[in-house]
Amino acid sequence: MSAAAGIYVHIPFCLTRCGYCDFNAYAGLDGLKPRYLAALFREAELAAAGWAGTAFASVFLGGGTPTTMEPDDLRALLAHLRDRFDMTPDVEVTIEANPDTVTEASLSGLLDAGFARLSIGAQSFDPAVLRSLERIHQPTSVRAAVAAARRAGFRNLSLDLIYGANGESLESWRRTLDETVALGPEHVSAYALTIEPATALGREVAAGEVPGPDPDLQADMFLLACEVLDAAGYGHYEISNWARPGFECVHNLGYWERRPYVGLGAGAHGYRDDVRWWNIRPPETYMEKVESGDLPIGGSESLDPSDAYLEEVFLKLRILEGVPASWFDAGRYEPYVQSGLLIDDFGQLVPTERGMLLLNELVLGLTG
Amino acid sequence: MSTEISRIRNFCIVAHIDHGKSTLADRMLELTHTVDVRAMRAQYLDRMDLERERGITIKAQAVRLFHEGYELNLIDTPGHVDFTYEVSRSLAACEGAILLVDAAQGLEAQTLANYHLARDAGLTIIPALNKIDLPAAEPAKRAEELAKLLGSDPAEILHVSAKTGEGVEDVLKAVIDRVPHPEGDLDAPVQALIFDSEFDTYRGVITYIRVKQGTLPSNATIKMFATHVTSEAEETGVMAPEATPVDALGPGEVGYLVTGLKDVHHAKVGDTITLAGKHGAAEPLPGYREPKPMVWSGLYPADGNDYSALREALDRLKLSDSALVYEPETSQALGFGFRVGFLGLLHMDIVRERLEREFDLELISTAPNVEFHVFRGTDEIVVHNPAEMPPGGDYDRVEEPVIYATIITPSTYLGAIFELCQARRGEMVDMQYLTPERVEVHYLLPLAEVVFDFFDQLKSKTRGFASLDYEPWGLQEAKLVRVDILLHGEPVDAFSSVVHRDKAYEYGKKMTERLKELIPRQLFDVAIQASIGSKVIARETVKAKRKDVLAKCYGGDITRKRKLLETQKKGKERMRRVGKVDVPQDAFIAALRVDEGAKKK
Repeated sequence: MSAAAGIYVHIPFCLTRCGYCDFNAYAGLDGLKPRYLAALFREAELAAAGWAGTAFASVFLGGGTPTTMEPDDLRALLAHLRDRFDMTPDVEVTIEANPDTVTEASLSGLLDAGFARLSIGAQSFDPAVLRSLERIHQPTSVRAAVAAARRAGFRNLSLDLIYGANGESLESWRRTLDETVALGPEHVSAYALTIEPATALGREVAAGEVPGPDPDLQADMFLLACEVLDAAGYGHYEISNWARPGFECVHNLGYWERRPYVGLGAGAHGYRDDVRWWNIRPPETYMEKVESGDLPIGGSESLDPSDAYLEEVFLKLRILEGVPASWFDAGRYEPYVQSGLLIDDFGQLVPTERGMLLLNELVLGLTG
Repeated sequence: MSTEISRIRNFCIVAHIDHGKSTLADRMLELTHTVDVRAMRAQYLDRMDLERERGITIKAQAVRLFHEGYELNLIDTPGHVDFTYEVSRSLAACEGAILLVDAAQGLEAQTLANYHLARDAGLTIIPALNKIDLPAAEPAKRAEELAKLLGSDPAEILHVSAKTGEGVEDVLKAVIDRVPHPEGDLDAPVQALIFDSEFDTYRGVITYIRVKQGTLPSNATIKMFATHVTSEAEETGVMAPEATPVDALGPGEVGYLVTGLKDVHHAKVGDTITLAGKHGAAEPLPGYREPKPMVWSGLYPADGNDYSALREALDRLKLSDSALVYEPETSQALGFGFRVGFLGLLHMDIVRERLEREFDLELISTAPNVEFHVFRGTDEIVVHNPAEMPPGGDYDRVEEPVIYATIITPSTYLGAIFELCQARRGEMVDMQYLTPERVEVHYLLPLAEVVFDFFDQLKSKTRGFASLDYEPWGLQEAKLVRVDILLHGEPVDAFSSVVHRDKAYEYGKKMTERLKELIPRQLFDVAIQASIGSKVIARETVKAKRKDVLAKCYGGDITRKRKLLETQKKGKERMRRVGKVDVPQDAFIAALRVDEGAKKK
């Protein structure tokens, strides 16, 4: 338990529900916010008892759309967390925001409250792609949000992008990447659109109403992102994440490095010492459980050594660190080194860009 | 107490599937009080679950009815083209046949074929129209059609509703009045015809027999002519309709014999039973034929570990199915399995279904094929598996089995039938109008073309109105070639097929296109080729896989992601490897389903 831990707080409220999103998020439940906030406070108290002596290096407010909450409430929440959990002096505090939910004033308030890292859900700079994703904002709102954040004093900005939506071309994606680079965020996350069956989009694709993403085009888009972002000075440190040196996301690295984390809020996951657990997903039930004075745990799993090994391999292959070659028979990894999917970096196996795209294949091939 | 021979009538019912044969039999059982109404269940005589579900009769059965002082033995006949020989043996046990035709649908090919068999066997025919209660029934028109066929007066045709019981009494009366009584000498050496045999777990092999000459006592030492096997028989009896032991079966009588044998192959349908030793008959009855498989298919356990279970299951099935033949074979793609011979497609379906249902096996079966006779110099090789055919024309000639097909169709569909039969290399023999609207057509067709979704095509091109029956006709030379399917340069034996030269390209193209959809992308481009010998005739490529990773993997995604990988890992373990290419089992099953629907229900 020496490794620095993280705190994840889930805010399940959104202005609208996007067709592709399978997160635990709800539109139209704004009336629940005060009660939900109180539940988060209460859960933090209940959970903190189990984490005495742990130093937390990151706090991440994700959702949903955390910035749909009042800045004062978010300030109070962060203060409460600092009160209940030990944090390192340079703790990284991130909040996710959608472009239309922030103003310079609200952002100033968040920065002042201690949210020093802002992750903006830009998704695309192509209006047609945003419509296809059912995002309600315009590219101009992204530019405006970034400008407002800079004026408010944010020095650590991340933009989230999604590629491979229906109708998006490689050229459109290139323009989105160029616009992103032009805005100069410290960090970029770029995700290939994944169709989740239990979403509106998933059902449309299954019904043949909308074409699913073309994996070959997405592969080209990934390689283009690598090229454009590398040229702009961003380091590729995880399959879907790039950062200027020193701006890698501490919190997210914790997941891939298998450091412990506590999850607060409906559906949030926690992990420590090969045990993973998750909170009750529906906000209403989650709150009732907390209000009755119990931890709102919905389920848990204990990883046996083979589970833990598999996770170690597939998570560490996602990041630059890679995995030690000594874990595998040479016959298992050498073909991948020869075919250019892995690099044997003085005994560490690290995926190449092509290898990152075929990570499942690599994991299955290596662990047999 | 034996019945006086002049008061015995042996008869059967010739009818198309669904024309009401079993229902008529049910009514007869009721009317003659052979079955208590309380014990009655629909299709009483169809014993196997499978038979009742499919509404067809697979194995013949005999039941004894008493009516007006007469002993009426109703011999049930199998109602499917696969079992023509069994039908002929059942007919040989009778002196009369009820020709039962649906008053709405009219004559079907199968009925006609069986009618011809019955007539050729010298049976008295009692024509009857069934389902006259149906609103769609056209008894007058159908009677005319039947009368024309039989060369009789429409007035002689009985009108029946097996469902309501109307006219059933008349049918029984006609059997008594019109069917001649059997003849035979009580004291002659015993000759008893086996028209069915089955294996009973407790009693061993039970045969259903018609005594032609002599008297067969219970507990006799019997001898089978065809197999030269002797045995101590344990019991003679009759089905009334449950098994009822009798002291002896006299000439003209129909009943069962518990043979004391343990292997059904020792008591084959069509064989003659006599007494062992000096009291035995010198000659068998005419007409015995070895069961001959017409259709072959490779059967493989989906799970390679089930090979010995499959072997045991086949060994068990064989005890009760004398037509079933099989030999072990190995496929590079499918592992260890068996090449199994069947009487026809229905027989194949039944065997496969029984293996899966009764023995809980999951099977992969290759596309059905016929046997080919390959001639090279003075050698003749009989090939049951396309992969054994010499590749690239390394032989003098090939002969394939041809069938004589009878098709009955509304005349409006004649054009469609000509077109289909021509596309299937058929050669028309003759054609005649049964009525102005219905035609009987005869074709010689390669059996290989018939097992290749012919029934389905026939049904779909005639909206289900045409019916088909066929009998083996012989062998005929044909320009046949073996088409191999190669994955990344490796031939997949399970996909090899012997097809006519003119259709090789079509087959190759179809298979390569189909496989392209079924084979998952690999880390490299996979060529799918169809070839004749070394000549490639069709090619598709499965492009290399470029992306399989999930973009996002944060705290809440890890468990799901790990489980997904575990599932994929299991999937990969179940893949079969052809050279370097991983092929999911489902792809084999789906690809081999080219002949899906080549089943006649």
